[in-house]
Amino acid sequence: MEILCLGLNHRTAPVEVRERFAVSISQQGRAAHDLIARAEASEGVVISTCNRTEFYLAAENAQAALKLAEKHLAETTQLELDASIASHFYRLEKSAAAQHLCRVVSGLDSMMLGETEIFGQVKEAYRLALEGGATGGTLNKLFQRAFGIGKKVRTETSIQEGATSVGNVAVDLAEKIFGHLKHSEVMILGAGEMSRITAQSLVSRGAKSIFVANRSFDRAQELATEMGGSAVRFDAWQEVLERVDVVISSTGAPHTIVQRADVEKARRARKYRPLFFIDIAVPRDIDPAVGEIEEVYLYDIDTLEQLAEEARGRRQLQIDQCERIILSELAKSKLPGL
Amino acid sequence: MGMDRWFLIAATLLAAVGAAWGIASVHRGHRSRATVLWMMAAFLCQLGFLSIRGQMRAACPLVGTGEILAFLAWSLTLFYLLIGPAYRISLLGVFTAPVVVLFQGFALLPGVLEMNPTRVLGGNAWHETHSAMSVLAYGALALAAVSGVMFLVLDRQLKEHHLKGGLFRNLPPVRELLTSLERLLWLGSALLTVGIIAGFLMPKTNGALGHPIAAVLVWLSYLYLIGVQRVRGLTGRRLSLSAVVLFLVSLVVFAFI
Repeated sequence: MEILCLGLNHRTAPVEVRERFAVSISQQGRAAHDLIARAEASEGVVISTCNRTEFYLAAENAQAALKLAEKHLAETTQLELDASIASHFYRLEKSAAAQHLCRVVSGLDSMMLGETEIFGQVKEAYRLALEGGATGGTLNKLFQRAFGIGKKVRTETSIQEGATSVGNVAVDLAEKIFGHLKHSEVMILGAGEMSRITAQSLVSRGAKSIFVANRSFDRAQELATEMGGSAVRFDAWQEVLERVDVVISSTGAPHTIVQRADVEKARRARKYRPLFFIDIAVPRDIDPAVGEIEEVYLYDIDTLEQLAEEARGRRQLQIDQCERIILSELAKSKLPGL
Repeated sequence: MGMDRWFLIAATLLAAVGAAWGIASVHRGHRSRATVLWMMAAFLCQLGFLSIRGQMRAACPLVGTGEILAFLAWSLTLFYLLIGPAYRISLLGVFTAPVVVLFQGFALLPGVLEMNPTRVLGGNAWHETHSAMSVLAYGALALAAVSGVMFLVLDRQLKEHHLKGGLFRNLPPVRELLTSLERLLWLGSALLTVGIIAGFLMPKTNGALGHPIAAVLVWLSYLYLIGVQRVRGLTGRRLSLSAVVLFLVSLVVFAFI
């Protein structure tokens, strides 16, 4: 029995190609079943996320199974798998296929290096194939081992440490200041896209309530409704400052909106509690002098971007160590089909 | 050398290992989970020391600077073991262990700890309550100062955007540090209040007024600090600095014993 992998991902194919081969989660078990029937394989698992679609097969003859699998794909997608499309696919066999799966599970093959979501997505795809009766001894052992290796890579290296996007850096910092966010209130100044994304991340981590202040009150109400918060008139944001813990600002104004005097005025009422300002506007919304106030932590877009870049750099440095773990663990595993 | 001193040496070494272990873990970027175990072992040895000294004195072993420092180190360890793991304040042990080593190391210096402690004659319950509660209070206040130092380190890192390294990653959040600091100040002040009241009720000794005056000043300073924090509020930095400075200054009280 030989293991093989046929797939395409964000590196090999643009989104307009990837979307043609995407398989919805509800169809993955069924697709695995169809694939093994058509490719004359014994076992199969279909993994499909926004960044990749991969078909793992266990067959007596890998080369023949690959050809049949490609033919099946051409039929189901009604696409001619000519050179222009076929070149987007990678075809991996035996140990190369196993190593690739381990790299995928460990987040080494992800667009955002080390991201954790892929681990759950592969687990779910495998579960669907298993429940659909599309897997057997070979792929079961391979996937179980890959999950074990993925966990080891993530615990023994720093591949998933540090936030790698501006929004996540801001949320991590908020948690470093306030701990669990269930007691924290957030105010958004300006209803732009970046503020919305960052605020949503804070809400998803448990932020207690959200206030939205925007020059257009209708837009503030719209965003507040979307996030289950309250809209505030733009000229009343100083009053709300007395109660919130985090302020996200992204107004698009050509001058600073939050002055040191505004914060100084609210300090007494706030009893000098810590206050976290996230300024993601360019030009900046918050006067840098605000950061000189003792209990204020001020981070602008450049600082957040730099922190995210540093985290990405630290993750890059971990790749060699991760690869070594994968190779040594696979060598120890003696998996069938490699 | 008596068994009591061996216990104190063992407790000091265990706390030193806990500190070194914790610092090395943080340096490697990990959280030290073993520090609490080393501190537990140190705590048992401290109990051994206090138990033997208590039998020798036939009273609470709080006679002389050496015993007071050892008792203070025990009290600090006790509060750390009660509060650190319960509230999941990571790294509290790493910051506490060196202070324990410092106190006990000083107690072990030649001449500081009485070699042959004599029985305390004419012991008085108020006197013992005063000594025990006051030193327990100092343990809580010392731990408040330790939390204050942790806050100051984290605050500086956050303010200056120096967010790399194991220390930053493993320090507890700002709000948790300030909450624990405030609770420890309340607890320490409450225990100190009992100690001060017991001090006024114990039989008066002739002479030195320095000790009661210093003790009352320290007590009033802590009450003022928690009062201001409660009523008006204080920035984390001011509260932490006050807790650290006040604790260091309050050690002067022992100079008058």
